[in-house]
Order: sequence, then structure tokens, then C-alpha cells
Amino acid sequence: MDAQKETFMEEARELLVKLESALLELEVVPDDTDQIDRAFRALHTIKGSGAMFGFDDIAEFTHDIETVFELLRDRKIAVTGELVSLSLSVCDQIKVMLEAYIGGPPADKDEAERILMSFREMVPEQDIGIKQPEEAPEKLHPHEEDESLGAEVTYRISFRPDRDILKNGTNPIHLLNELRALGECDITAHMEETPLLKDYAQEACYIYWDIVLTTGRGLNAIKDVFIFVEDTSDIKINVVDDGQDVNVSVDTKRLGEILVDRGDVSNDKLQSMLKNQKRIGEILVEKDVVCGGKVEVALAEQKHVKRTHEKIWRAAQTASVRVPAERLDELVDLVGELVTVQARLTQKAVHENDPELTAIAEDVENLTGGLRDNTMSVRMIQIGITFTSFRRLVRDLSADLGKNIVLKTSGGETELDKTVIDRLNDPMVHIIRNCIDHGIEFPDVRIQSNKPEMGTIHLSAEHSGAHVLIKISDDGAGLDPVAIMEKAEKNNIISKEIELSEKEIAQLVFAPGFSTAKEVTDVSGRGVGLDVVKRNVEALRGSVDINSKKGEGTTITLRLPLTLAIIEGFLVEIGGDKYILPLSSVEECVELRKEDSDQIGDSNILNVRGEIIPYVRLRKSFESLGEPPELEHVVITDVNGDRVGFVVDNVIGSYQTVIKSLGRAMRQSEDVSGATILGDGTVALILNIDKLVKAA
Amino acid sequence: MTKTIMVVDDSSSVRQMMAFTLENAGYDVVEAEDGQDALKKLNSSPVNMIVTDLNMPNVNGFDLIRSIRSKPEYKYIPIVVLTTESHDEKKQESKEAGATGWITKPFKPDQLIGVINKVMPQ
Amino acid sequence: MTEEAAAESWQYLSFNLDQEIYALNIIQVKEVLDYTEITKVPKMPDFMRGVINLRGKVVPVVDLRLKFGMPETEKTVDTCIIIIEITLDGESTSLGALADSVREVLTLKPDLIEPPPKIGMRLKTEFIKGMGKKDDEFIIILDVDSVFSAEELVSVQDAEEEIDTVNSEDQPEQTETVQKEGGQVLST
Repeated sequence: MDAQKETFMEEARELLVKLESALLELEVVPDDTDQIDRAFRALHTIKGSGAMFGFDDIAEFTHDIETVFELLRDRKIAVTGELVSLSLSVCDQIKVMLEAYIGGPPADKDEAERILMSFREMVPEQDIGIKQPEEAPEKLHPHEEDESLGAEVTYRISFRPDRDILKNGTNPIHLLNELRALGECDITAHMEETPLLKDYAQEACYIYWDIVLTTGRGLNAIKDVFIFVEDTSDIKINVVDDGQDVNVSVDTKRLGEILVDRGDVSNDKLQSMLKNQKRIGEILVEKDVVCGGKVEVALAEQKHVKRTHEKIWRAAQTASVRVPAERLDELVDLVGELVTVQARLTQKAVHENDPELTAIAEDVENLTGGLRDNTMSVRMIQIGITFTSFRRLVRDLSADLGKNIVLKTSGGETELDKTVIDRLNDPMVHIIRNCIDHGIEFPDVRIQSNKPEMGTIHLSAEHSGAHVLIKISDDGAGLDPVAIMEKAEKNNIISKEIELSEKEIAQLVFAPGFSTAKEVTDVSGRGVGLDVVKRNVEALRGSVDINSKKGEGTTITLRLPLTLAIIEGFLVEIGGDKYILPLSSVEECVELRKEDSDQIGDSNILNVRGEIIPYVRLRKSFESLGEPPELEHVVITDVNGDRVGFVVDNVIGSYQTVIKSLGRAMRQSEDVSGATILGDGTVALILNIDKLVKAA
Repeated sequence: MTKTIMVVDDSSSVRQMMAFTLENAGYDVVEAEDGQDALKKLNSSPVNMIVTDLNMPNVNGFDLIRSIRSKPEYKYIPIVVLTTESHDEKKQESKEAGATGWITKPFKPDQLIGVINKVMPQ
Repeated sequence: MTEEAAAESWQYLSFNLDQEIYALNIIQVKEVLDYTEITKVPKMPDFMRGVINLRGKVVPVVDLRLKFGMPETEKTVDTCIIIIEITLDGESTSLGALADSVREVLTLKPDLIEPPPKIGMRLKTEFIKGMGKKDDEFIIILDVDSVFSAEELVSVQDAEEEIDTVNSEDQPEQTETVQKEGGQVLST
């Protein structure tokens, strides 16, 4: 029981004592109004606070009795001995009900009913009738309203407050501000009724307002604004435009129409006035200023302009612009070129040592950076749409197989480069098919293994540095390590002697030519394995990981780069050639002296502040010629959670890397994931550190 | 500037709940246990708003509102009354006495904050 | 086919490779560059010399000498890179080919082109579209799509093996293929 409830219990006990003593006093002096008041207030507080702190039974029971005491207080009935003893039994009853909350015996409901019946008998028929079971609680507090946005509707609101509104502490400005918060709002204040100073009452409100408000919050939200003043003020709310036929008539209303609408001018009067009025064209022709033909042309022009305005107006309605994807690709290419040229400019500026040129180069660098970020962000789209598109897949496939599966998603707002999302669809379909087909069990199997009959597939996306993690997890049967090993041995993927950890075994499902389903089905057994998924994801410079627990489910994690076009790179030099490491993976650099490396020998393990770090000699991997320099550098990176060092000749620093494909002719080079063009026009290769670590 | 709200209720549990809610929302709170106590405390510590129960010993809510409105410095202060009934007569009566708005018991903390924000925006 | 287009398809770019004259159909040649520094890509077959920056595009460069089993190209003032456009897996892509020197653009009418000799060639017969002749010199016209096919680009076979393969193959069939391909040139 929380502190507030305890406070109430304590208070209620005190009040019951007060009630009891008041009742006993009343037994002696039946018309002691002070005591009647005390008793009434005790009951009132028990009822009111009881309801607030969740003691609903007590509040309900006390309600009718409070009514009787109200009648007593208003002298509509008189205090009798019978009433007092009945009220005392009320005290006892409430006490029992209270104690029941802290472990006492449950209150006798029949007893409560009997007391209430007796009370009702005591009271004149017409008076007890006033309080039948409580009406539905008032729902006029603003926060209780449904604030979901509906269609935008335009309202005309006339708010003519009571002259005395200020005397109640109401500030009409607050109310108008509240309206402003609801949506696009035009407020006109009317001061016409403000009297001369000699007649001016200081506390009176002479101003009234007309408001045109466009909001999607609904009529109730507007009514709520005026809830405390609605019965004293004159408030009219009308719908002007419900936003439905906005495309049919772009015309805004004419002055005359509005005046008629507002009831300021009658329609008949307006029409008769209009009849008397000649059109400007007619007047001009009549006065022989222009000829009729010219007026016709001008009218046609007017019509045209109006039509054009309509078009513009409609176009302006859409806040976003659709652009063909190729144009975006072009834009990214151009920005990429610009970044490269800017790098050349910067290099030249450094070389020339001309302060003016350096300043220009810096400006260009800043602008290019901004343009790059902007262009990249234009290409980012939320993955949620892709997630949603899988609902149908899950629904249809699970129905086909007779399985009961629900798809849950989270992190749909996570943004990824459009290209990545486009190319992600196939691998994800494949994985989800696998979840449905091989992962989630049939309903009877699930029930047998004490799982909910309904299986769940959960798709989630989240940021992790320069990467996005997409997880596809199911609560299905999980991978069976024994079955996988058997299968892998049978298909000659591994040899029997190899001892593998459970995690390593799970990775085997990505090996080419692997499929563990016992029977081939339409759903996923089409001869294409998860190896295709792995390849596709790696083509996006991403990686795939699998985690599974037998009987509990499987999670496949796709780790994808945010963008395919430009990354922050880390430029290094090996044997005169330049290479780029993804900066997001770089953690630190340490020096490696020749005598140290000789000492280490071929062990390929480095001691960095007591931490043992394995390293890869890139010179060796790339068969670089020539002797390594006296002082080499080790770039320590995070490769899928492990710290791995790469030994390079020299580190140059971070570099805006526009990723270029090596082209189809070079695609089998796994050590390299792409190339970039440096400021001096030469090509630097982007290293695929995952692969380099695996190959070492 | 932190605004001060006076809560007047003879139920200590209701007072405690309101004080807790309002203090969490960033207001300073002055508690009073009935109308008499409220009037006394108003003289010593100025407040920006008052939330009061109606049924109270000594000086009840209606009388309290009338007394407050008669003070020049509190002529326009927002006053919110707590009513147990959703009946209009009580609301009407309290409005006539000079209340700005009302909140119906039982209420939840955020409902209280909602009404406070309505009559005294921050 | 217009006459102009037909005439163009008879034009060839000739170049030197280790004392022999080779030619490529001009349609497939995009441009000829002076030798520029080539960035080596690790773990590629030797004839894939690396990549160059072609106005912002990364283009792989093949050493045709190594591909054809000749000694590696040595850089001279005449060394150049012929940029050609090929189709790989249905996608068109650019590729550079190292040549000792570029000679000229010449016109060879189809009736002057003969099928390659069946024996005694250093390179695979399917690499050759035909043999032309100018000023008593033989010109080997390369079949670009076959030299730079997806399989060839990944192959690390050495030239000797290739010669063996050619010699052991059924010859009448070979001739037939070449004639068919010659026909294709005409119809382009």
C-alpha cells in the first residue's frame, strides 16, 4: 500500500471517530447544527478522498448516507434516535470495509445493503431520488479528450464573454492562447462596446472576439477551452470548411457571402445590392473606354490566371517533393566528385601556402561538408515501410503452413540509405521465410513445449555508430547444433575432427549448400540457402550474425552501413600505396618499433597497456615489396566486437571517402570493399577489415 | 519565476496528494486545512492561485472564495474548486461566489495539472 | 543499317604488343590515355594490374601482355592505356588495357579479314576475331567480349596451358565458331 493510501486510512479512522462523537452528541441534542455539519463533513471527506485513493466500495457506500446528512443539514428531515443508531452502524461498516484493505475480514455486503435500505426508508421518496447510482463521471477535463488528429476542419468561433468574467479570475487571453495552440488561428477583437471612460467599469470585460480556427483536434477540444465559461459566456462554434471539398472550389468566399453567412447582412439585401452593381467590364464598354472584344480577352486571361493559381495552390499543398531515384543517385555522384575536387583544392592550398587560397579552400570544405550531409540525409528513408511490407508475407505464409504467427516491429523510424533499404528487401524476405518455415513450430508442437500457441517474429532496427543493426528474431525451435553438425559433415562443409563452439556451429548455416529443413517446402526450401543472404548483405558492406538457443528461438542480426556513398575514412600508407580503413571502426593507433616487432616475431600478438591484441601485417597480406620502415604503426580497430590491430607503414589521418566501386571486373577481391580517389588524383583502396581478419 | 499555489482541503490525504502533484510539476505549494486557515495564510504569504474544497469546517469554500474576491490583490486570482458532485448547482454556486473553474473528485494527478495549466498557463 | 554505321564498324584501332600488331574495333574503344600510375589491388591475378582514376571513376587495368602469356609490359614513353567498354554479366563497364604503343585507326573491309590460323597462335583462338593485313603486316583483331569475359577476368591460368587447350581442341568446330562471329561483326 502506498504512502498516500496509508494517509487516507489514517485520516479515515480519525474521521470515523469524529463522526461517531458527532452522532453521540446528536443523540443528546438532536438539532445541534454544528454536529450535523461535522458528521456531514466527515462523511463527505470519506467519500471524496475514498474515491480519489481507490477505495471505491467505501465511496459508493458513503454516497447515499452523505445525501441523507445533506438533507439533515438543510433541515429537510429531522434527526431521530433511529437515524443515529443506523448511522453508528454505518461507522462500524466503514471501519470493517477499511480494515479489509489491510488484511481484515471482508465486509458483509448484505449488511451494507440492509443499512442502505433502512436509510432510504427514512427519507421522503422524492428526496432520496436525487442520488441514484452515480452518473458517468464528467469527462470535461481537457486531458481526457482524445487528442488524436483528425481531418483539419475550419471553425468560426464567436466568443462573447460575460461582462463579469474577469471577476472570476478568468483571463480571456489564456483562452485565446489555448485556441491558438489548437491550430492555425485568426482572432479579431471587437472593441465597439467599450464605453467612454466615464462609464467604464474597471473590472468589466467589454471586448468580444471572433475567431477562425483550423484544427484537426475536433469540436470537443474547442469546447474544452471554454468549459469554465460556457454557461456564462455567449459562445457559438460553427464549421466553415470541413476540408472535404477543398479541391473542388479553391475560391475563398467573397466579402458579401461572408457577411451573409455571419448574419450581418441578409442574403436578399445583398443580392438586390449586387443587382444594382454593374460589372467593371460592362461599365468600361458602356463608357467606350475599351471595346467588347478586349474585355473578353481580359476575362479569358483572368480565368487562366485563376486556373494557374489553382495549380500552384494545389502543388503547394504537398509539403514534400517526389524526385526520381536516379536523380538522387546523380546528385550523390556529383557531390562525390565535388568532395574529391575539394580534397585536391585543399591539398593545393596547403602546398601553395597562400593564406587567401587557404581561406577559400576552408570555405569550400565547409560548404562541401554541408552539401554532403544534406544530400546524404535526402537519401535516408525510414525502414518502417519495409517492415510493414512483411506483414502480408508473414500472414499469408503462416496461413499456408497452418502456423500461427504474429509479426512485431520496432525501430521502424530508423533511417537508412535508400539503396541499402532497396537491396535489403530480398535478404530479409529470405530470413523471414526461414523463420516461418523452419523457425516457428506448428501450434501443437508449441503447446507441447509450453510455449504460447502464437509464434512471434520480431523485426527491429537500431543505430550502432555508423551502422544500423537490423534484427530478425523468432521464438521458435532455435537451431539444433547436433543436426547442423551432421548436415555439415554430410555435405562436406566441415570435417568430423573439427571442434566447434555453439556459435561457430550456428554460423555454418551460412555456408554455401546448407539447408537443414527436413523436407523441401514451397516456402523456403528452394535450393537457395542463407549463404545468398550473407553474400547480399556483404555486398552492401554489411555483415550477418546469428544467435540461437535450441528451443527458445533464433536471432539473425544484419549489420549495415548507414550509407553506401560517402564514409569517414582513415587514410594509411603501406609500401607507398594508400589505403582507407573505415574510421568508425578505428579505436586507436600505437607505434610499433622495429626492435619490438622483431621481439614479437611471428606471434602476431601485441601487448597494449596489458591488453593482448592480435594484429594483421598488411604488408604481408598485400605482398608489398621493400623493407618496412623502422617505425611502423598499428591501427587498432573494432571488428565485430573484437579488438584487432592492423600494422601499416604510416598513418595519415581521417579522410572524407567517396566510395567507388572497383567495377565488376574486380569483384572477387575480398580484401578490398571499394576504392576512393585522393586529392592528388591517385586511387586508394578501401580495406574490408572483416575479411582481412578472417583471412589472417 | 516559480508560482505558488494554495491548496485548501480539510482532508489531509487530499492535500498531501495535491501538494505532491503540484510540487512535482514545479510549483510551490501552501497548504491550508480550511477556509479560516486559508485566509490567515493568504495574509502572510502571497499566492498565484488557489485550489479549494467546498465542504470544510469553520469557513467553507463558498465563503472563502467570496472573502478572497473582496481583497483587491486577489480580485483576479484564479480559483479552482474541488467538487464531489458533477452536479451543476454546486458549480453554479461556486461560480457565483467567484470561482474560475472546477475539478471533480475523484481526479488523477494529471487531471489536476491540466486544469491548473488551463486557468494559469505557464 | 546506314552506310555510315557500316563504315564505322570497319574501323579498327591498331596497337603494338611485344612486336605483334593487334587491333580492336573502334566501336568498343572509348579513348586512349597516356600511362598513369596504377594502384595495385591485392590478391588479384597478375594480369589485373590494378585500378586507375579515370576522371573520378575507378577503372581496372589489364596487362594484355601478361594475359596473352608475354613478358610483363615495361613502362616506356609510348606505353598507353586503351579504355574500352565491355559488357559483363549484362552490365556495361569500362576497362583499361595496357599497350606498348598505339599505331593508327585503320579501315579493314570484311572481305580483307581472314579467319585466324588454326595453329601456331600464341593466344586462344576464341580471343581472335580474325586476321587483317596492311602493308604486308598481319594484324590480329581481338574479340574483346571474349578476352574480357567474366570467366577470363578471374582466370589465373597461365598462357602455356591455354596453348595446350587450343591445340587439343577439335579444329573444324573452331573454324565454324569464328566464321559465325565474323558474320556478327558484319551485322553490327
